[in-house]
Parts: sequence; structure tokens; C-alpha cells
Amino acid sequence: MTEKNRQPPGDLAIWIFICAELGVFAVFFAAYAFTRAQHVELFNRYQQTLNSNYALINTLALITSSYFVVRAVAAIRDDHQRSCARWLGAAIAMGGVFLVVKSMEYHHHFSAGVTLSTNTFYMFYLSLTFFHFMHVLMGMVILAAVALKARRGGYSASAYTGVETGASYWHMVDLVWIILFPLVYVMR
Amino acid sequence: MKYQSQSVAKLYFIAAIGLFVGQILFGLVMGLQYVVGDFLFPEIPFNVARMVHTNLLIVWLLFGFMGSAYYLVPEEAERELVAPWLAKLMFWIFLAAGAATIVGYLLLSYSDLAKLTQDDLLPTMGREFLEQPTITKLGIVVVALAFLFSIGMTILKGRKTVVNLVLLIGLTGLAVFFLFSFYNPENLVLDKYYWWWVVHLWVEGVWELILGSILAFILIKTTGVDREVIEKWLYVIIAMTLITGLIGTGHHYYWIGTPAFWQWWGSIFSAMEPIPFFMMTIFAFNMVNRRRRNHPNKAAVLWALGTAVMAFLGAGVWGFLHTLAPVNYYTHGTQITAAHGHMAFYGAYVMIVLAMISYAMPMLRGRRAANSPRSQVLEMWSFWLMTVSMVFITLFLTGAGILQTYLQRYSDQPLDFMTVQDKISLFYWLRELAGAVFLIGLVIYVVSFFAGTDEPEVAEKVEVDA
Amino acid sequence: MSETFTKSMARNIFYGGSVFFFLLFLALTFASHQEFPKRDNHEALTPIVAKGKRVWETHDCIGCHTLLGEGAYFAPELGNVYKRFGNSTEAIKAFIKSRPVDGVPGRRSMPQFNLSDEELEAVAQFLKYASGIKTVRSWPPNIKG
Repeated sequence: MTEKNRQPPGDLAIWIFICAELGVFAVFFAAYAFTRAQHVELFNRYQQTLNSNYALINTLALITSSYFVVRAVAAIRDDHQRSCARWLGAAIAMGGVFLVVKSMEYHHHFSAGVTLSTNTFYMFYLSLTFFHFMHVLMGMVILAAVALKARRGGYSASAYTGVETGASYWHMVDLVWIILFPLVYVMR
Repeated sequence: MKYQSQSVAKLYFIAAIGLFVGQILFGLVMGLQYVVGDFLFPEIPFNVARMVHTNLLIVWLLFGFMGSAYYLVPEEAERELVAPWLAKLMFWIFLAAGAATIVGYLLLSYSDLAKLTQDDLLPTMGREFLEQPTITKLGIVVVALAFLFSIGMTILKGRKTVVNLVLLIGLTGLAVFFLFSFYNPENLVLDKYYWWWVVHLWVEGVWELILGSILAFILIKTTGVDREVIEKWLYVIIAMTLITGLIGTGHHYYWIGTPAFWQWWGSIFSAMEPIPFFMMTIFAFNMVNRRRRNHPNKAAVLWALGTAVMAFLGAGVWGFLHTLAPVNYYTHGTQITAAHGHMAFYGAYVMIVLAMISYAMPMLRGRRAANSPRSQVLEMWSFWLMTVSMVFITLFLTGAGILQTYLQRYSDQPLDFMTVQDKISLFYWLRELAGAVFLIGLVIYVVSFFAGTDEPEVAEKVEVDA
Repeated sequence: MSETFTKSMARNIFYGGSVFFFLLFLALTFASHQEFPKRDNHEALTPIVAKGKRVWETHDCIGCHTLLGEGAYFAPELGNVYKRFGNSTEAIKAFIKSRPVDGVPGRRSMPQFNLSDEELEAVAQFLKYASGIKTVRSWPPNIKG
């Protein structure tokens, strides 16, 4: 029987970093909102050049991957190591979908000659989404490391902190996108 | 002192202190030139005094880092240094090259020094802090490689503690980033962009790893707190250092022809650079509070705690004050910069080297753990005199900087540079006075090494007071 | 059963975080390089300007002056001195040439470098080139530097 956890799941260190990460993204979002208020027309105009269909696919991809991660944690809680690794693999695959779709978006913009210096909107759009992109990549690396260790039997029902730690990080990455998507793509 | 070869550190520490005295003497010359403009002109113009002052600073800190490494690495690795003869040889080569360079600065005009050393073959002279002739720079690379070899091999063949590994990463980074000093393009924007890959990535990057590992070593030794706890926090601190400091480089990329996105990236990340220093302060005080022993070397513990506080104030707080782009637009290149620079360098790097010397020197000179009470009291006096006078130097330069920023940059009727310098001269006189007190502190510091040498050392009190 | 804060977690965060941010820094460096040609006034970077940079360096001008705000704070900012001297390289040359050998009594003094005519022209052209670099918000804030 599992005890009721007094502490958050996973290593405490990761929660310090998750808070720090959310803090930095919050500052970036605030900077975006503040700047947008000063350049409403510019932001509205160039927002139209963004592909919200791709963004929707990405949102679904990340939410699905988070669901897979939840299943992975549930699996290891029941001592199903291989199952845990497979769910994590599925989550990583959805992360891969995100990266591919995002890369397609970037390719479209870069071919049109858009850079970080084109205008303030694009500076924020590229900065925010690329910073997030790198976090998705980092999250996939972390999940992969956890999945490999799970497959080798490195976790069990009584020792699976690493899985929870990786899962928490991934959920944070998902959460950031949930805020980023409406803020940058949708909100007018 | 557990290993014989740790004794090479003594040479490095003595040279460090000697060069430190030289640095301060030239600092006082410069401070006087600020207000008596033609003092020692034309024999020692301001720029010559400055390059002597800054180069001596950097070189004595390097001697200090090397001495610290030669002392702590054998003890951490639990084995003798791999090639003590190499450490001694490099000491003399580095000292000779350094002395020759300083003499070159003083005796020759800079353009003659450039011709003499054939700077034209690979021009690297004439940039701030990198005034050394190219041949000196090449010599530094050789010395650094030999040093990394000595330390690296000792660590590889011995116990690989976290302290050792972090120190090694920091020192390796120091050597690698120094290589950028050889890249001097004609394009001024490129020149400036990569110049900061030496300077920023040193003092707001890999040097912090060196600082952290030395501080961790001193805390392990003087508090007796479990190594696992201290090493874990060392990792957290250096993680925050690089996480904030790498993109934080962007706070040097606001106004030098670099693109505008750095205003955002640089401001956001550099604003977080105080975090590791804040953590270091909490960390140092926390470990001392949780100590399991009352180490007899009170002076060393004072230096260690002082380092954390002054580094946080000088590098963290004063850095933060002018790091955001909208503020920096007005303060860039003013006395605000000088104020921050002095307290940051003193608080972080001068003090950690002095802390290490304070900890190690008694044992290098044959003591068991600490100096006599008389010696320690004198040393602690020097700590307070130097530290408090540095605070005043910083406050006076901050005052000068605020006034300068207003009169020359912010006002609707800006005044020209020289007029403003005249108007703020009172602050410069006060700064010079504080500098003189600093020198007194330094003299007392040197005296402390010769006082009470015949007296018994402070004994360790067995129980920790409730 | 969750453990608290482990050393190996801290170690992983250090290595992971450092690699992450180093890669990001490289990406931003790449983006900077893409933008440099629009700002760095390289069109004006002629051989004489390159020589002027060498004159600037071999006389350690940065040891007293700032250039785009970087350097020493003893003497004025020179990034915009070309504009401050009325868009005149002749004025810059005349100033450097006229520094008294023994300085100005009691005042901050600039050495007499005895530059050749070629060196004077070169360093003046270098400073003109520097003033043409497109700094963000046209830094410095005003003509005084």
C-alpha cells in the first residue's frame, strides 16, 4: 500500500528547478504581454502569419504525451517496468511529433527570411517558442534516460523517484506550452 | 599538511601576495591621477598605471588559484601531486614572464613594446585586460597547459571528489576561454563580441566554479559538515551560475552593434545572476551554523563568510543595479561600472584567494591547523580594514557614477565628459582616502604573517557551545 | 517512496543545464552573426581603417578612453567623437597631433604619440568607421558620449 506523500513527487531538487523554470517563462510571458500592449497593431498583424493549425496539432501532441507519462508512472507504481518504459517511449514519440511540426513551422518562417531581428513580434515569437522547443528536447532526453533505466530494471514499485522526477519535468514543459499557445497564437 | 607536495602552494601564495601589493600601489597612483591629472605624466601615463594595476590583479589571482589547486587537490585526491617539479618550474616561468611584461609596460612606450615583441605577426595587444604581448599570452597558455596536466593527472590517478572535479572543470574552462584572446578580428563588433567570451565567461562563468569549489573545500575542512551535503549544494550553485551566466553574457551585448534581441535575453538572464551568489551566502552561513567542530583558524572562517557576503553584494547586488538594459543605456561606461567592478572582484576573487591562503598557509609553514592568537587578530583586523574600505570605495564611486550619469547622459542639457569629471572630483578624493585605508589594511595583512610566529597556535575547543 | 534532494540530481541538473544553455548561447550567437552585416558598418572597413585599428591598439587608447562604452573611464567616449568633432577626420587628427609633450599642468593629459601622417589618417578613419556602427537606440544617448 502506498503512503500518502507528504512531499511532492520526485526529487526536491527538480521542484526547485521547475519553479525557477516557470519563473523564467513567467518573466518572458510578462515581457511579451507588456511589449504587446505597446505594439498592438504590429503584434496582431504578424500573429496572422502564424499557423495555428500546426500549433493545435502540437498542443494535442503534448497533452497526449503527458497522458502517456501519467500511464508510465502508474505502471511503475505497480512494478511493471517494461510497461513503464513503453509508455515513456510513446510519450517521447509524441514529443518527436511536436519537434517535427515545430520545425516545419520554423522552416516556413526562415525561408521567408524571418529572423530574431525582423521585428519585435517575431523576436518574441521565435525566442519564446525556441526556448520552449529546447525544453521539449531536454525533456525527451530526460524521459529517454528514465525509460532506458526502467527497461534495465533500475526502478521498482518501492523505488521510482527518478520516474516521478522526469514526469514532473515533462508536465512542466507541457504546462508552459498550454500557456504559450493561447498567448502567442490565439489572443488578439 | 598531509602530503609533502602540497608545499609548492607556498611559492604561489607568496608571489600572489607580493603582486597584490604591487597592484594596490598602482591603484593608488591611478586614483591620484583622477584628481591630479598629470601626476607622474609623462613617465607613467594613466593607461600604463592602469594596465599594470589590472594585469597584476589578474596574474596574482591566477597565482592564487594555482596555489589553491596545488594545496587542495592532493588532499582531496588523497595522493601526492603528480609532478611537483613541474609546478615549481612553471611557477618561476610564470613569475619571470609576468615580471618581464610589467617591466615592459613601465619602461617602454606601448607601441615600442608592440614592435619589440613583434605584435604584427599575430596582433593581440591593445585590448582591455589583454594588453600582454602575444608572446606573453603564448607563455600563459603553456603555463596553463602544464598546470592543467599536473592537476588533471593527480585527480585522475586519485580520488575524484566533487570538489576536485568542479575545480578542474573551472580551471579547464579558464584555459579554453583564454584562447579567445588570440582572436582579434578587424571588425570591431566581432572583436567586442568575442572579447567577452574571455572576460564574462571567466568572471561570471568558470571562475565562479573555481570560487565555489575552493569555498566548499574550506567549509568541509573548517566546519566538519558532511561532505555529501556540501558537495550537493556546490552542484546546485554552479548549475545556477552557468544557467544564468551563459545567456547573461548578453548584458554586454546591448550597445556594441549587436542585435536588439539581446536587450531582452541579456536583461532577463543577467538579472538572475545574483541567485548563485545569494545561494553561496546562505550556503556558507548555514554550513558554519551546522558545524560539528570549532576550527581554531577563526580568520579563515571569517574570510570564507566574508567572501560569500561581499561577492553577493559586489557582484550580485551592484551588478543587478546596472544590468537591465533600460538602466544600462544611461550608465554604460560610467563610474557605476567601476564601482561594481571593484567590489565584485574584491568580494568574489580577492577574498576567496585570501580565504584559502588564510586556511592553508599556517599548515604550509608548519602549524597544525592555525596561527597564534596575535597573528589571527592582526589578520582579522586586516580583513575588516580592507573590506570596509572597499565598501566605501564602492559607495564613493557609485555616488560619482550617479552624478556622472545624470549630468552627462540623462539631463536635457548634458555636459561634456571632462566638465563632469571636474564636478565629481570630491568623490574621487574620498575614494582615494578609502584606498589609502585599504593599503593600510593590506600592510597589516602582510605583517600578520610575521607576527606571533613564536607563539603557540590557537587550540581547538572540543565542545560546540550551545 | 520519494527521496529528498539528492546529490546526483543536483549533478545532473548542473551538466544538463550547462549543456542546454551553452547550446542556446551558440544559437543566439549564430543569430547575432546573421544580423551583424546590417549593423557593423563593414562596408567602411577598408585597409586604412584596419590599419587605424592597429594604431588604436598599439597605443592602448582603450587604456584611458571608452569605445562604445567599453574601456577605461579616464577620458571621453570615442565611439562618437567623429560626430562630436563635426564629422571631421581633420579635427580628430589635429587634436591628437596637438597634445603637449609634458601634458597640461594639473589636468588629465593625453600623451604626444608622435604619429606619422599615415597613422593619424588611419586612426581618424577608424574612429569614423566606429561612429558608423548601428548601435541599438543609437547609443550613446547624446553627443557628449
